Amino acid sequence: MDPQLTSIIVPTEELGQIEECLVRLVEDTGSDYALLLDKSGQVICSKGDGDRQDITALGALIAGVFASSREVAKLLRERDFRASFQQGVRENIFIALIEEQWILCIIFNKGTHIGLVKVLTKKATDELASVLERVRQQHKARDEVLGSSFRTSMEDTIDLLFRD
Amino acid sequence: MALINVAAREIHCKIVYYGPGMCGKTTNLQYIHSQVPKDVKGDLLSIATETERTLFFDFLPLDLGKVRGFQTRFHLYTVPGQVLYERTRVAVLNGSDGVVFVADSNKNKMQENVNSLKELAQNVTRQNKKFAEFPIVIQYNKRDLPREVLASVQTMDHFLGVTKMNWPRVEAVATTGTGVFETLRAISRAVISKL
Repeated sequence: MDPQLTSIIVPTEELGQIEECLVRLVEDTGSDYALLLDKSGQVICSKGDGDRQDITALGALIAGVFASSREVAKLLRERDFRASFQQGVRENIFIALIEEQWILCIIFNKGTHIGLVKVLTKKATDELASVLERVRQQHKARDEVLGSSFRTSMEDTIDLLFRD
Repeated sequence: MALINVAAREIHCKIVYYGPGMCGKTTNLQYIHSQVPKDVKGDLLSIATETERTLFFDFLPLDLGKVRGFQTRFHLYTVPGQVLYERTRVAVLNGSDGVVFVADSNKNKMQENVNSLKELAQNVTRQNKKFAEFPIVIQYNKRDLPREVLASVQTMDHFLGVTKMNWPRVEAVATTGTGVFETLRAISRAVISKL
């Protein structure tokens, strides 16, 4: 078996640090919501007011916007757009890239100043970059999760759910 | 880029439906969405033009429930097939774990199929992945076309190099659902085996 070395495994300890970082970011900026996404659009962690039901779709769309802007950057011979800002009437979204792999997204309303969001997001992205670095070192955790019994159970589930 | 969240006990995989314009990628997702149980599927999200052509992508999250204690989620995407959206396809393909290549069985679409598959190979390679080892399932869609325009399976195998690459291949009619779940099972298994 040839595992894809690109699988990202987030262990318990690192997820704790990510949660802490997002909670602090939401509190310090007075934002509504903070999301950490993988560039593939999957939500790694989300923190904020209430329980959003649309978080999966939000993750897919934001990652899509970011991936699309990366292609725009290439056309302009720019390596990447590191951050983007979307301004609405009530809600705003600030998105920042972390090491080409993760995307940090902050949703905030007009009560929060964009300058504060930018400064504190920069601090958070530095912190999350070091967590990402540690996550990239994880290989052992994958073997613990993805044993042969897991794969067999997974195949059974696939056959059961995806039947004609 | 499968994501395994040990603390939250979640596994996420991304599967992309790729292929030339009007080959039936969105139809595959629509059929899956119409058939899977409510507790498995999320909303089907489509970013389309006014004429219902895919502009950016379609997105369908599937929640397979707990497997050995891990909540397992598959996210299905389609790319826009039209030639002009090449860069958009690159964006959607980003971080994918496997691809369903939907080929049009119309004889007159063979060159478009070949071009799209070549482009896919380039785009996968650009993401620093080995195309030969990347999980791919080929779906020959529209097998219900009239005989005059229907390409034979052998012809399609030949043009697309399917036999050489050893890809699983499924014959389908996505509008009626034939082969749609067989394709989904094949790609899901291929992705899981490469995690």
